[in-house]
Amino acid sequence: MPQDLAEVYRTTYRALVRFLYRKVWDAERAEDLAQEAFARAVVHKPDNARGWLFIVAANMARDDARRAARERRHLTLLTAEPQASEPAADDALHVENERTRVRAALEQLTPRDREVLLLWDSGVSYEAIAAQTGLARGAIGTTLARARRRLVEAYEAGQRGEHVARG
Amino acid sequence: MSHVDEGLLHAYLDGELSPAEAQGVDAHLAQCPECRRRLEEERALIARAAELLALGAPPDRELPPFRAGDVKAPTRLWWQVRLPLAWAATIALALGIGTYLGRDTEPARRAETTTDAAAAKPRTPAEPVRELTRRAARTPPAAQPAPPADGIARPRPELVVSQADTAVAYAYAERAADSVAGITRRKASQDEHDRWQKGDAIGIDSARRVLGADPLVVPGVPIEAVYLGRGIGYSGVVIVEQALDSTTMIEVINARSAPALLNEVVVTGAQPVRSRPAEAAPPPAPRPAPSPGAGLFHEVRGPLSSDSLAALRRLLRPLRP
Repeated sequence: MPQDLAEVYRTTYRALVRFLYRKVWDAERAEDLAQEAFARAVVHKPDNARGWLFIVAANMARDDARRAARERRHLTLLTAEPQASEPAADDALHVENERTRVRAALEQLTPRDREVLLLWDSGVSYEAIAAQTGLARGAIGTTLARARRRLVEAYEAGQRGEHVARG
Repeated sequence: MSHVDEGLLHAYLDGELSPAEAQGVDAHLAQCPECRRRLEEERALIARAAELLALGAPPDRELPPFRAGDVKAPTRLWWQVRLPLAWAATIALALGIGTYLGRDTEPARRAETTTDAAAAKPRTPAEPVRELTRRAARTPPAAQPAPPADGIARPRPELVVSQADTAVAYAYAERAADSVAGITRRKASQDEHDRWQKGDAIGIDSARRVLGADPLVVPGVPIEAVYLGRGIGYSGVVIVEQALDSTTMIEVINARSAPALLNEVVVTGAQPVRSRPAEAAPPPAPRPAPSPGAGLFHEVRGPLSSDSLAALRRLLRPLRP
């Protein structure tokens, strides 16, 4: 069993971090949560470790998001202006901007569509997505089609909005 | 035949249809230009969505080592939890040895084989050790005054734990600690991982200072990094990472035992056995004794079978400047 888990770790860790990152948007935090999920798996020894890990990770991310939301409310009171003066390299800034746009677009999806899309993008199969979300397996394709379309639309709408705002 | 719906197209493109379903879609696509056009649209959509998601992906980082035993307990750090257990272990160990002293040749010989096996194979100490502690716990000395098999009660070097190999001593202590505390959830292979904690990266010179000797490495294998480590019962631990190939990293653990900790305690516990004859065989060397490594404990860990790791361990040689 521990050998199996080590193997699952090798094959699943990055996918789990990827999945978690789109939920907490903080690489360190995503890695912490992923490691904690694995630590729990060591204790619980689930039969289907991979599926189990994604479920636990989703729950942890949800709790984490609630906590973060509380903290953010305090922070917005403290930070008056975004630190526009920070001298970031153009590339890094660009990557960061893109990430922010994708994040904003993802947030316009319904929670269920988003969950299915993120799970798929982390390499989870239709079968396992169905098991995790409670959707019928036959509905996953439709859900993914909708989620993908909305993501692309929301992202492009965001870009248009930005160009308009810039003048 | 009706057109293929969007969801089916996505499942088809995602490779998630059963062969029969996929054949059905293929058959329809072959005779429906409209659906073929839509298929290409959906294909582009899927690619675009994947592209966007990739923009929102975390920075790619190295896979951190898997430490199965490293269950997070933010309020209590590992040494705060485990050190008391190590002391409890020494008591349990002393009791266990006492139990053995009260017994005669036959059980003693059995104990010896157990010890030898454990000493010769320190990578998997859990099994014999667990058995030893269990047996010791079950049989109080007075309960089984088994007569000596050959009628001669010879003093034998039953438990040469003191100098044999600190690894064995450590394994004894830890295993005993676990049974004392009723903690059995960890498995032997996981012990290997949480036994050594990796700390900061250091240079070769610092490693020499920490060990008081050249660290052992597998010769001819590129060294990726050297880390300061930690392990209970060891005052200086250096972990050398070596890349066997681009995907396989092994870690060579060099540990200098802390005389004030387990060694001393274990010797005290084993004291009544001191009468062992001078000509008694020296404790089995865990490896073809490299001279500068004397007093040091070495271990190789990595994603390989225990046989391969043992083979690598036999190859270890001191790192020369």
